[in-house]
Amino acid sequence: MLELRRLTKYFGGVRAVDGVDLTVAEGEILGLIGPNGSGKSTIINLICGLFPLTDGEVVFRGTDISTLPPHERVALGIARTFQNIRLFGQLTVWQNLWVAQKARGQGRGFLRGWLGGSRHDRVAIDKTLDFFDLGHKRDELAGNLAFGEQRRLEFARAFAAKPSLLLLDEPAAGMNAEEIDQLDARIRQLRREGVTIVLIEHHVELVMSVTDRIAVLNFGQKIAEGTPAEIQTNPLVREAYLGTQTAA
Amino acid sequence: MDFYLGLVQIIGVHTLLGLSAYCVLLTGQVSLAQAGFFAVGAYVAGMLTVLGGWPLIPALAVASLAAGIVACAVGFPALRVKGLMLVVATTAFGEAVRLFFFNFTYQLERGELRIGPHGGEGFRQIRYFPENGWSTLDVMLFIWVVVIAVMAALWWMDRSRIGAVLRAVGEDELAAQSSGINVTAVKVSAMTIGGLIAGLGGGLFAHYTTHIEHVQFGVVLATFAVAYPILGGLSNVFGTLIAVIFIQGFLIEGLRFMGDWRNLLFGGLIVLAMIVRPRGLIDAGTLVALKRLLRRGERAGA
Amino acid sequence: MLDLIDALQSVADGVLFGATYALLGIGFTLIFGVMHKINLSYAAASIGAAYASLLLLAGVKAPPVLVFLMAAACGGVIGALVYFVAFRFIPLANPLATLMSTVGLLLLIDEIVVHATAGVPLNYPALFSDVVIRAGAFNLRGDLMFVFALGCVAMVLLWALLYRTRLGIATRAVSQQPVAAQLCGISIDGVNILTFVITGVLGGLAGAMTGAAIGVLSPLLSLPLTVKGLIVTVIGGLGSIPGAIVAGLLVGGIENVVQFFRGVSERDLYVMMLLFAFLVFRPGGLFAPAAGRD
Repeated sequence: MLELRRLTKYFGGVRAVDGVDLTVAEGEILGLIGPNGSGKSTIINLICGLFPLTDGEVVFRGTDISTLPPHERVALGIARTFQNIRLFGQLTVWQNLWVAQKARGQGRGFLRGWLGGSRHDRVAIDKTLDFFDLGHKRDELAGNLAFGEQRRLEFARAFAAKPSLLLLDEPAAGMNAEEIDQLDARIRQLRREGVTIVLIEHHVELVMSVTDRIAVLNFGQKIAEGTPAEIQTNPLVREAYLGTQTAA
Repeated sequence: MDFYLGLVQIIGVHTLLGLSAYCVLLTGQVSLAQAGFFAVGAYVAGMLTVLGGWPLIPALAVASLAAGIVACAVGFPALRVKGLMLVVATTAFGEAVRLFFFNFTYQLERGELRIGPHGGEGFRQIRYFPENGWSTLDVMLFIWVVVIAVMAALWWMDRSRIGAVLRAVGEDELAAQSSGINVTAVKVSAMTIGGLIAGLGGGLFAHYTTHIEHVQFGVVLATFAVAYPILGGLSNVFGTLIAVIFIQGFLIEGLRFMGDWRNLLFGGLIVLAMIVRPRGLIDAGTLVALKRLLRRGERAGA
Repeated sequence: MLDLIDALQSVADGVLFGATYALLGIGFTLIFGVMHKINLSYAAASIGAAYASLLLLAGVKAPPVLVFLMAAACGGVIGALVYFVAFRFIPLANPLATLMSTVGLLLLIDEIVVHATAGVPLNYPALFSDVVIRAGAFNLRGDLMFVFALGCVAMVLLWALLYRTRLGIATRAVSQQPVAAQLCGISIDGVNILTFVITGVLGGLAGAMTGAAIGVLSPLLSLPLTVKGLIVTVIGGLGSIPGAIVAGLLVGGIENVVQFFRGVSERDLYVMMLLFAFLVFRPGGLFAPAAGRD
């Protein structure tokens, strides 16, 4: 579904991402892990088109989208969350989803999507909010939510764009055990609905339990790829990533 | 009585000016070009009724459209820059428009009179209202019909998805882009809508003052245009209206009895207002609190 | 031939007067560098400082040099006041609020000046106004030369302060990494006040230089100076001090030569066009700082 070919990004002299090849299959959950500064978030930003590529290609469903602006990639079905939460703080919870909701249809339907939103659209937003357990907060300003709720709202807003590929950038950061369990359940539920997910996460248990496949990055390069079990026993990964944990 | 009607006219036209800046501010852009669009509207409308002999309403429509087109054209290059750069770019554009009219002369012979814009002396004799027998009251009512129509349209826009999208761009461009919004298109649209409204206001202004000249459209007017919505708050259109009444009605006219001291108080009160209410007199929090209050009232009533 | 000499003469006069624009540009740039905020009251405060120096020394027959130094000192004090009134108590996350509060302060300062002087323009003392240096076919006006020299001295002192003292290092640290600077024990509040005092001193000098070059002070000067100062800041590149200097001299020279050829009514129109040209072809300004991560 998504194919990264020799993906490369330099910031000045720093090789943030250096020739990464990666394929994400339809319907799978891919974990993307690696030490801090290994280029995970940069890859997400490149897939979304927030930075221009230095070299390589981003191919989505067989077409090269490397030069498309971010909003057109969202229209194709790629949505994301941010590691440092970026909500529209002065909008209500409900409006945050409304902004992201894909304006569907042509002609009158399109116009209605912009002006009022059809009954169907409104119900869809309410449903999404309920799924993320935010229904009771719908008229609250997003900026006034508690931290965990803001994380859920980020996730909900990304989901409201009706993506077929969802990029989650550390969705569990700062969450407690109970919230992480809920997150785990939601990710599984979305997969059952056919959403493909790329998950960046430092929380090892979550990654190991929920992903089908894991790619490991270090210094901007992919050093390993495989099932969670394979990754856990891979000596290279131990050295680069898990190794630093055992040492500490 | 005419004094008060005149004041109400000024408040109406300045509300339009403030609303034009409001649209742009929603997307997080500070534009000091609004006085320039206002000037374009004023000169175009004046020239159409005086030199072209057009009726007022089509002249206003064309003036508004002209200012909108100019705003759209300025929007594309200007909105590539942000923050201070945009403030300076739009200030410079507004000044360029003013200086253009300072050097702009286009006069026609009418009997023994020469009419039309005349460079630094300005554009006199925009006498559509007196020539067609409109009283001050008629003019005032007409201006307010326009103001109310614009406010209603913006109020409705604010509550539609368009409003949410404009505000989303203002809050966080990156997140808005990542939510599938074409940020450039949204910003240029906001600028165009602002231009349309400013042009309308300028057209009305030219006709009730009957005499326009370049100095009226300087940096001060541009600053007032953004001051109204910032002072009033960006949560809805009434903030701008309240700020216009506060500044034009209270600070400028209401405090006239204080003589010189009024002007001192004027700047000071703006500073104070920003310290006490940095998000404006009416902010989004106020609205949510109000809503909650209303809902509690309903529940208590039921 | 005479035309060419006159034109070059007007460029020279303009470049000399451009030193005031350069100082104002430096002031805007410094405040932007440290706080990432625009201080729209800056030019008004500069004119205000020049006025204050005249009023404070009204009783004594002070030599012009003393008036200039007084203007610089008043500028520093007013700078600190500006910080406390329009910046200190407004949340940093709210750029619109500070923008507006500095506009309010601009109006307030102008009105205080009008109030204190009954709106009458005051004569400002100039040094060497009777001296004319002849260089070949050119005449260099003594008062403009002095203004230019004063501007250069101020810039050299500023450079020494920023790059050769601990205070300067702290200021630059805050502008580059506010959080890290705080962790190193630098008080952000202190650096902010210091920046406003330094820029205030520069502004006071610029105000005095304007007064000396034009011969009179009027509150009507503050808006055009605000616009010119901002233009210089953008043309020079936001945050770049050398850029502000070069852009200041450039704008001064160009506006004078345009005035010579096209008359005073079209002068500023061409300055605006220069700015647009920069925004379209070189939006980073003359000396754009190196591009960051994005």
